[in-house]
Amino acid sequence: MGRAAILKSIQENKPALVPLPKIDLNSFDEIVDLLETFKSNVKLVGGDVIELASINDLDTKINDVYPNAKKIVAQTSASNLGTISIAKDTDPHSLEIIDLAIVKGEFGVTENGAVWISEEQFPVRVLPFITNDLVIVLSKADLCDTMHSAYKKIANRQRSFGLFLSGPSKTADIEQCLVIGAQGAMSLTIVLV
Amino acid sequence: MSHSQKAALFNKNETKVNWHDKALWFVREKRDTAAHKIKGWEYLRELASGIKANVLSNLDNYLVQFEQNAKQNGIIVHWASNAEEHNLIVHKILAKNNAKKVVKSKSMLTEECHLNPYLEAKGIEVVDTDLGEYIVQIAKEPPSHIVLPAIHKTKEEVDELFQEHLGTTPSNGNPEYLTNEARKHLREKFIEADVAITGVNFAVAETGGFVVCTNEGNADMGAHLAKVHIACMGIEKIIPKEEHLGVFLRLLARSATGQPITTYSSHFNKPVPGKELHIVIVDNGRTDQLSREDFRSSLHCIRCGACMNTCPIYRRSGGHSYDATIPGPIGSILSPGKDLKKHSSLPFASTLCGSCTNVCPVKINIHEQLYKWRQIVTKDVKQPLVKKSILKIVGIVLSKPKLYNLAGKSARFVLKYAPRFMVYSNINTWGKARELPEVKNQNFDDWYKVKRKNNG
Amino acid sequence: MKVGLFIPCYINQLYPQVAIATLELLEKLDVDVYYPTGQTCCGQPLANSGYEEDSKSACQVFVENFKEYDYIVGPSGSCIYHVKKHFDILEQSKEVVKVRNNAYELCEFIVNILGTKNIGASFPFKVGLHKSCHGLRGLKLGSCSEKKESHFSTEESLLNEVKGLTLMSLNRKDECCGFGGTFSVFEEAVSVKMGKDRIQDHLNNGVEVITGADHSCLMHLDGLLNRNKQPIKVMHIAEILNSSI
Repeated sequence: MGRAAILKSIQENKPALVPLPKIDLNSFDEIVDLLETFKSNVKLVGGDVIELASINDLDTKINDVYPNAKKIVAQTSASNLGTISIAKDTDPHSLEIIDLAIVKGEFGVTENGAVWISEEQFPVRVLPFITNDLVIVLSKADLCDTMHSAYKKIANRQRSFGLFLSGPSKTADIEQCLVIGAQGAMSLTIVLV
Repeated sequence: MSHSQKAALFNKNETKVNWHDKALWFVREKRDTAAHKIKGWEYLRELASGIKANVLSNLDNYLVQFEQNAKQNGIIVHWASNAEEHNLIVHKILAKNNAKKVVKSKSMLTEECHLNPYLEAKGIEVVDTDLGEYIVQIAKEPPSHIVLPAIHKTKEEVDELFQEHLGTTPSNGNPEYLTNEARKHLREKFIEADVAITGVNFAVAETGGFVVCTNEGNADMGAHLAKVHIACMGIEKIIPKEEHLGVFLRLLARSATGQPITTYSSHFNKPVPGKELHIVIVDNGRTDQLSREDFRSSLHCIRCGACMNTCPIYRRSGGHSYDATIPGPIGSILSPGKDLKKHSSLPFASTLCGSCTNVCPVKINIHEQLYKWRQIVTKDVKQPLVKKSILKIVGIVLSKPKLYNLAGKSARFVLKYAPRFMVYSNINTWGKARELPEVKNQNFDDWYKVKRKNNG
Repeated sequence: MKVGLFIPCYINQLYPQVAIATLELLEKLDVDVYYPTGQTCCGQPLANSGYEEDSKSACQVFVENFKEYDYIVGPSGSCIYHVKKHFDILEQSKEVVKVRNNAYELCEFIVNILGTKNIGASFPFKVGLHKSCHGLRGLKLGSCSEKKESHFSTEESLLNEVKGLTLMSLNRKDECCGFGGTFSVFEEAVSVKMGKDRIQDHLNNGVEVITGADHSCLMHLDGLLNRNKQPIKVMHIAEILNSSI
C-alpha cells in the first residue's frame, strides 16, 4: 500500500521511455501589436483598461473609477490611497472588509490579457481574491507575447506563491449566462503607464 | 440501467434535450473560435501529447523528483493506493487539526473517491465552493459535466434550489442575483473554514509545485484563508518542467470554454509559514490503466471537457446517463478499466464519429479506444444471448457467398411482402421512428447478371 | 488499371440503384471495372459491435475477391475506412496489404486517382452535403470543423462542378447523423434525435436533396424523412454525379 506499492506498480506497468519533445517556439512566432492586443484581451476577459500619461495621475484616476472605496490596501508606492496596511503576519480573515486593493503587476501576457503577480507584490496571499475590487498597475514596457515567454520571465524567481490573473472573477454555471463577480474580485482595472 | 435506457428517458423531454444540446454546442463553437485564433494550435496539441507520453513512460521518476522538491519547500506529501486510503489520509489531517468545517474547490478525484459522504459520515461539514458544484451539492446530485457541473439545470431550477437552501427571494432564475447570493453565503463558509481541499491541474516535477486553475477564485479563497490546504492529485497530473505549463495553460481553457486562460492560474510552491500545505498523490486504478497498451494514453487527460461538448450523444443524453464519475467520451474509455461490467454499455454509447479525438488537446485517440473496449466487453462481459447469437450467425453468413445471397433474397422477400403490422411490430426497434427502406424487385447481383454478364 | 467494384452488402440488397449508378459512372470515366460476384461484406457491422474476431472470415472473403485488382472502389466511406483501418486484425499477407493500400472510396478515387472533378453531370437542385464521419475524419475526405486547417472537401469539389447544382450551407457542417451501425438500434432514442436534428438543419437551409458518400447515413435519414413525410429527397452522390452525363 502507499508509496512503495504505487512506485512498484508504475515500474512494472510503464512503457519504454518516450523522449521528451523539444518546444520549437518559432512555430508560434507572429507579428503582434503587444499593447493593443493586450488591451483588447483584457477587455475580452471582462477587465477594464485605463492608459495614463503619467503615474502621478494614478490616484485621481482610481478615485474616479472607485469613488466609494473606503477601505483600501495600496501595495504600490505609486499610490497614496491606502487606508489599511498589511504585513506578512496580518490575519487574512481581516481583509474581508477590503473594498479595493491596488497592486503592481510584474508583467502582462498579450495572448490572454493575464498579469503575473506574486508574493513579491503582496504579502498576504488572499488579497487579490478577497478584495471587492482590484486595480493592477502595469508598465506598458512589461508586456510579453505568449505564455512561453511568460514562463521564461519567471523562471528564476523565488518560488512561494504567484498567479496569472486574467480579468475579474466570473462564472457561467447558471445556464451558461456569464456573470462577472463570483467568489473573487468583482472587477479588475488595469492601469497602464 | 444502461446508458441507452437512461438516454431514452432523457429524450422523453425533447425541449430539454434541445436546450442541453444547444448550450453545449455553443461551448464547442467558442472553443473553435479560440483555438483557431492560435498560430500553431495543432502543434501545441502534438507537444502536449508528446510531453504526456514521456511522463507516462517515466512516471515513477517524475513523482519521486516532485516529492523531493515539494518536501524541500515544506509541502507534506502523502501517497494513496486507492480511494479508501485517500479518504483515510484526508480525514487524518482533518482530525489532527480538529477540523469540522471544510471548503472544497473542484476536484474530480475527490468525486471519484466519494470523499464528501465519507467525511460527512464523520460529522465534518464539506461545502463545494465552485458555483456549479455547489448547485449539484444542494440538489444532492452528482455533477453531470466535469467543467460545467450543473449544465443540466435550468436557471429556474437553480432559483428554486436557492430559495430552499439560501432563502433567496424568487427571481425567475436571475443569474446575477443568484450568483451574488451564493457569493455572500460562500464568503461566510470561506471565513469559517478550518481546512481547504483543492484539486491539482498540473504538478511540476522540476519544482515540486502545482497549479490550480479556476474562474471563480474559490480555490484561492479557500486555500489562503484556512490554516490547512490539502491538494489532491492523480498520479498522471505530473508534468516534467515548469516551461511545459506554457503548453498546457495555452490549451486548457481554450479547449474547455473558449477562454484564452482561466481567471486564476495559481502557482503553489511553499506554504505560508505557520500554515500546512499537504498534497495527496493517488493511484486508484491509474497504474492498471498504465499497463493497458491500447488505453494508456487516456491518462493524458487534462480534464478539459472538450470531448463532452463536442459529443453529439453526450449533448443529447446528458452526463447522468453515463452513471460514471467522469462521463462522456473520456469517461467511456476510463471507466471500463475500473469496472468493466458496470460500465460495459459506455463504449457503445457512441457512433465512433471521431469528433472527440479531434478536439482533445492531448490527442487521445478516444474513438479508437471506444472501438477497442467494445472487443473486450463482448469477450469478458456476458452479452444478451439474442444479440450475441444473431451477430455470430451474421459472421457465418457473411463468410459464405451462397448463404449470403440466400439470406439477402429471403430478407428482401420478407420485407417486401410481409404485412406492415408484422414488419413494424414492437421488436422492430428501427421501425419505432423510421420507415424501412423500400425493397426493389431485384438486388444489384441480379441486375448485374442480366446487364453485364461479361465482366467479373 | 483494373478496378474491382465493391458494393456494400446493404446497397446490393436494398439500394441497387446506388450500385448501378456507381458502375455506370466508372464506366463513363473509361475505367476498366469488374464486379467480383463472390463478394459479401467488409465485416464492419460485426466489428463495430465488438465481434471483430467473428468478422475475420468475412474479411478473408473480401481479400480473396479483390486481391487481383489494382484498385478497389466502393461507394461507401465507412466500409472503405474499415478495410483500410481494421483489416489489421488479419495476418498481413501481401494480398491483405495490397487490398488495404488500394481500397478507395468513390469520390476520392475520382478526384485523387483519376484526377477528375468535372464529370459533366447536371442536377439543377438545392443540395445539402452530409459529410459522413468515417469518410471525413477517417479517410480524410475533407477538412473538419474541429481542426485548424485549410478548407478542402472531395465531395464538394465534385458537386461544385455539377451543372445547375446549388450547394447549400448548413449550420453544423459536420455533425454526425446518428446512424453508427447497430447504434441505430441499440441507442435508438439518441440515434433518432440526432437524425432529426440533421434533417432540420437541411430543412432550415432550404435543401431539396440531401446527399453524401455513405448510404448508411442516408438510409437512416431517409427512414426518418419517410416516416415524418418531410419534403426532402435523399440521393447518394454517385446518383447525382451519374445524372445526365
